[in-house]
Amino acid sequence: MVDFSLTEEQLSLQELARKFARTEMAPHAAECDRAGRFPEEIYRKAWELGLMNLNVPTEFGGSGLALLEQTVIVEELARACAGMTTSIIANCLALEPILLGGTPEQQRKFLAPFCAEYHLASFCLTEPSGGSDAGAVKTRAKREGDEYVLDGEKCFITNGPHASLYTVFAATDPSARQKGISAFVVPRTTAGVTPGREEEKMGHRASSTSTVRFEGARIPADHRLGAEGEGFSIAMRTLDQTRTPIGALATGIAQAALDHAAAYSLQRHTFGKPIAEHQAIQFKLANMAQELHAARWLTWHAAWTIDHGAKGTLESSIAKCFASDAAMRIADEAIQVFGGYGYMKEYPVEKLLRDAKLAQIYEGSNEIQRIVIARELLRAYA
Amino acid sequence: MEIVVLIKPVPEPETKLRPTADGRAFDGEGVKFVLAGYDESAVEQALLLKESVAGSKVRAITAGPAPRSEEVLRAALALGCDMATWVEIPKGADLDPLASARILATAVHRYPHDLVLTGKQSLEDESGLVGPALGALLNVPDFGGVADLRYDEASGGLRFQRVVEGGNEALASPLPCVIALQQAWNDPRTAKLPNILKSRKMPIERIEGGHEPLLSQQRRVAFRLPAPRTGARMIDHTTPEEAAEKLVRILKEEARVFP
Repeated sequence: MVDFSLTEEQLSLQELARKFARTEMAPHAAECDRAGRFPEEIYRKAWELGLMNLNVPTEFGGSGLALLEQTVIVEELARACAGMTTSIIANCLALEPILLGGTPEQQRKFLAPFCAEYHLASFCLTEPSGGSDAGAVKTRAKREGDEYVLDGEKCFITNGPHASLYTVFAATDPSARQKGISAFVVPRTTAGVTPGREEEKMGHRASSTSTVRFEGARIPADHRLGAEGEGFSIAMRTLDQTRTPIGALATGIAQAALDHAAAYSLQRHTFGKPIAEHQAIQFKLANMAQELHAARWLTWHAAWTIDHGAKGTLESSIAKCFASDAAMRIADEAIQVFGGYGYMKEYPVEKLLRDAKLAQIYEGSNEIQRIVIARELLRAYA
Repeated sequence: MEIVVLIKPVPEPETKLRPTADGRAFDGEGVKFVLAGYDESAVEQALLLKESVAGSKVRAITAGPAPRSEEVLRAALALGCDMATWVEIPKGADLDPLASARILATAVHRYPHDLVLTGKQSLEDESGLVGPALGALLNVPDFGGVADLRYDEASGGLRFQRVVEGGNEALASPLPCVIALQQAWNDPRTAKLPNILKSRKMPIERIEGGHEPLLSQQRRVAFRLPAPRTGARMIDHTTPEEAAEKLVRILKEEARVFP
């Protein structure tokens, strides 16, 4: 049976996220964007309310939410500020490898502190020499007795300078390419771990992004997640889980763009009437609404598919790819509705375009998503 | 201390209300009802007292129709109330303040109550009568417009302030009593996500509202929206200076507010 209604429980989670987004995030969004400020006080509040470690099971003190609930929350947060949302949900991405590849003991040890206290974690996969080609990881992890020694550099790491824990993908057997990659949990306090300076970004400026360097960083062998060589699979399965919330983040940006454009069109007059009464503007709004709805339902459907036990690689790639492309087009049209004002930083819509752009790039670029979609699709015909 | 806090589902403050087809009430169809305004402050006050007096328990009570009543009680439980009671009143029953107070007094009587807290008035009807009527029906002291409420260990009663013309008065009351709180002088907390999930599984005691609705003396004969305001005008501008210049010209030349 198809049912698109949210339960009372889901509605109250949506309400919580909406309230937090409106009262805590939105008032600071423009200022953080302008200054490139990382508003840690807001992230702390998000943690206090339980909005941070959404995917961590309740037995470790997390929220233990299914993907559908996560998408509902992420969309509401991103309506207020996509950059802050990226930093708030980065823990879900960084901790997912521990959920997927960790032993019960590793899970207790590494996850519980994140729910007992405010901490940030970072997912370290991408390297300067290759993002989408995740199999070409150059960071080395050499076994020496009961330890691994890590050497290499990761880049575009969300919350990098602020994280207390990194989940790192490194080659234990470089000759085996994908099958030679292993996953590790690396505490920030490990000697030889150095986050680099914060990048100046086009959008998501309330989030923090940096390189993280590993120079002879020694970690105990029991910090490895899964078996040697299982790292690539853990990374890919992690992204299968976290791609859908990126679709939700893009949907949130798109919703904000439509909200601003529709409200402005009723208020702004040209040729003696509100521009909303001009068909040129109506058609724009109608197209924006169509794409927004499609983005949301694709995202919910991907979440629903995965929540019902399927892998959902096809569905989540479709959702992430479509929603982020749609968010770009919708933000673009919102600026057009605002005309000259839309191009000005004083108005909120140009930020949405800059923020939407990243959703097409991170957590698997949309080109990679299309490759994945085609591969999954053709498999059904082969 | 056994604290009872009385709450009422009210339309979400940003809702655009519409009259029903017969024009006698606002149309609740499709309207989201929430815990808001004075009642939110009352719940916050109940929780602050609970936290300051060891062993205290808070019960939230509401009287109203499904499903909105359950939703505000769940919201109160998510915020930290321990127990909840729903007095079921059929949808569309036109309760006047005295009938509401009678129904609530009957419900309060079922439970131990050292303190009954209410908001100053509901955000929708704004009669402000239920609190005082309840004091009379329960035969205990009642106070309205109360702020800065504290438990006084020495006397085992309460101390609080009331804003009166030209100043504040400090008052004390023994328990039990009924207190209607002034306004949102406290900063109501936000329910945490895990508590929202927990509150969905907590029991809500349901009791029948009985025949009190039939005793209502007051009838609402019409509900009208305020007449739309006209004459607002937006000033097109690119800089604040330009906006100010245009505004001054309009005030001088068109409105003739000053020469």
